[in-house]
Amino acid sequence: MDFRFSEEEEAFRKEVREFIEANMTDTIRSKWLGGLLDTPERQEFVTKMSKRGWLSMGFPKEYGGTGESMPLAQYILNDELHKAQAPIVGKNLGVVVNTLLHNGSEKLKQEFIPRILKNEIQWALAYTEPEAGSDLANMQMKAELDGDEYVLNGQKRFITSAHFADYMWTGVRTDPDAPKHKGISLLIIDVPTPGMTLSPMNTVIGEQTNDVFFDDVRVPKERLVGELNEGWRYITEALTYERFAMTSFAPTIRKFNRLVQWVKDTELNGKPLRDDPVVRRKIAKLAMVVEAGRMLDLRCVCEAVRPDYVPANEAAMNKMWGGIAETVLTDEALDIMGPYGYLWHNGGHAPMDGDMVDDYLWAGHQRVAAAGVDISKNIIARRYLGLPAS
Amino acid sequence: MDMEFSEEQKTLQSTARSFLSTESPLSMAREMESNENGFSRDLWKKMADLGWFGLPHNEDVGGSGMGTVELVVLTKEMGRSLCPSPYIPTVILAGGAIAAAGNDEQKQCWLPAMISGETVIAFALQEENTFYDARSVHATAVPEGDGYVLNGTKMFVEFATAADRVLVVARTAGSPPETDGLSMFLVDPNDVNVRMEPLNTVARDRQFQMKLDGVKVATADVIGEPGKAWESLEGVIERGVVALCGYMVGASERIHEMATAFAKERVQFGHPIGSFQAIQHYLALSITEIIAADTTTFYAAWTLDEGEPSREIVATAKAFAGDTFRKASDIGAQIHGGIGYDEDMDTTLFLRRGKQYQLSMGDSGFWEDIIAEEILDR
Repeated sequence: MDFRFSEEEEAFRKEVREFIEANMTDTIRSKWLGGLLDTPERQEFVTKMSKRGWLSMGFPKEYGGTGESMPLAQYILNDELHKAQAPIVGKNLGVVVNTLLHNGSEKLKQEFIPRILKNEIQWALAYTEPEAGSDLANMQMKAELDGDEYVLNGQKRFITSAHFADYMWTGVRTDPDAPKHKGISLLIIDVPTPGMTLSPMNTVIGEQTNDVFFDDVRVPKERLVGELNEGWRYITEALTYERFAMTSFAPTIRKFNRLVQWVKDTELNGKPLRDDPVVRRKIAKLAMVVEAGRMLDLRCVCEAVRPDYVPANEAAMNKMWGGIAETVLTDEALDIMGPYGYLWHNGGHAPMDGDMVDDYLWAGHQRVAAAGVDISKNIIARRYLGLPAS
Repeated sequence: MDMEFSEEQKTLQSTARSFLSTESPLSMAREMESNENGFSRDLWKKMADLGWFGLPHNEDVGGSGMGTVELVVLTKEMGRSLCPSPYIPTVILAGGAIAAAGNDEQKQCWLPAMISGETVIAFALQEENTFYDARSVHATAVPEGDGYVLNGTKMFVEFATAADRVLVVARTAGSPPETDGLSMFLVDPNDVNVRMEPLNTVARDRQFQMKLDGVKVATADVIGEPGKAWESLEGVIERGVVALCGYMVGASERIHEMATAFAKERVQFGHPIGSFQAIQHYLALSITEIIAADTTTFYAAWTLDEGEPSREIVATAKAFAGDTFRKASDIGAQIHGGIGYDEDMDTTLFLRRGKQYQLSMGDSGFWEDIIAEEILDR
């Protein structure tokens, strides 16, 4: 048992920190988990990382990877990027590259992997639909073969990166008569393609996501990933490939530290907040939730680097705790502020410039996004505890 | 970064689990609730024979010199079976204090006998307040002739009447909250000037209010340099607290396993109740808390073994593991439904201990105040 990072790992962490310090700007900084690559500045930041080989760590050399790499390197890289509110390097690598490597045709591997590792192309993951949220396998968007092309009709919802992505990684229904898990396939679609219409949706905190409508969108059949009607298996496997993005607890730690600093610096009702016994107990209880989350995170990482082991249960526990912790943290933080807690940005009186208000509103989103708290509990109950299906 | 057990730790775990499952099943915990001593001398001797009492002590007194991580491996197994024994007060706290501060003569006098299971030493720190550190201690020790005279009242002294000695912490100087001026004394529980009043605890273990009314203690029974006890006690207490965390995590695991097994078997509305999301979500949250408490406890143990600053993580581990055990014991009974509250059901053993252990060796609020000090006042 050893809770320390190795010297080699610490040296890499230092290198990442130095890189961030040298390259990070206010324009690049993003408040949101995993900061999207939606601006030229953010894309350039990630391209600089790719030039250092940080996107290709651990991937096979024939597709532009570095081959063998330090097992915890991805974790350390994203951990530091999260702390700095910089763009992370998770989604494309974790989902697209891994799925292509395991299941894609040689042609698709050659065409896409090297460009992803150089950060030349951006992706949008398109699974969710209006009637396929938590019940993701209920996706209905049709893809019918017509000659050498699939013809797509339907709608995708909450497609976050669609307004700047080059490609869409899309789940489609290719067999409407099969049981719902058995009739799904994965297609790579150019953005834009004729017949595709984007309609922006604004979230409660102002971040853009999108509805995407498909009206006879034609996609060449060689853009099918892996085998026909095996898409659901690839999608669920890919969720567990997301080791790269698993450092979801770092943002919560950062917010907690910021709250602590604010409490230390603030007087309320004429007295230092830090001397208020109720505030002290609140901070202590939050510290416990945060430390427990950090421990679950590290445990997940330790499991993830074990050969041939997919930490699906640990990741679900991590995901669940993250949602709960964000909610408790942001709610208690605003409570400590009293009425100042409802002041939002740019008003001059808001503690932390109203950031904690955004975090509070977004915490609810974290409890429902990408297998939220309750879906994670279902996974833990069924997979880890072996409880029967409902 | 590695959370795996070593081969040695795995062996300790499997040996302890198989021994305790036959020698100290849950029926033993229940039986000892009405036993005069609160534990079985026979079981105690068998535990000694396995070398468990020497585990944290050095080889020169017959120990094996292992770390806090190993202690937690062991106390987790004890917790799984709710093993009733004075292991923490005797072996870790009193034994640890003698090992850390005692002179050679005292170590040779007490530790080998303790390690072999012949001698039980109780530990008396806390008084009539909620602190679990130097702030608690008002009892006085005044030099007189060849020794000291002790006066004061100790609370929550476990296994005190079954013990051969009680290690009492009293002040030779200063007053609370000062850490300077604390001293340690070995007191005979049968001394005419000691009065033991049993406390009726919800876990039905043996705890006492111990009144010291002019108790004379010879110089030979003063442990360590007078006034300097806190220097060695602080680390000893942290080790004991982390060992209790291990016990609580093990107990949480066990009640959770019982509840999960029950949920798979119990049929209502034509289905196993474990297929209902209301039940699944209770169990899923609880197991995640247990795993987090487990990792936090081992992290605290590892931190102590590495000699790194440990106050905040020990406080976090105790408050979190205590809260976790309480919740796990509560949910464990809930999932069993009405039968979960039947006195004869094992769920009630956990239910009663869940709340008690959360509040013992410093309740969650006590430790939360320490966490707040570490975070806000530095």
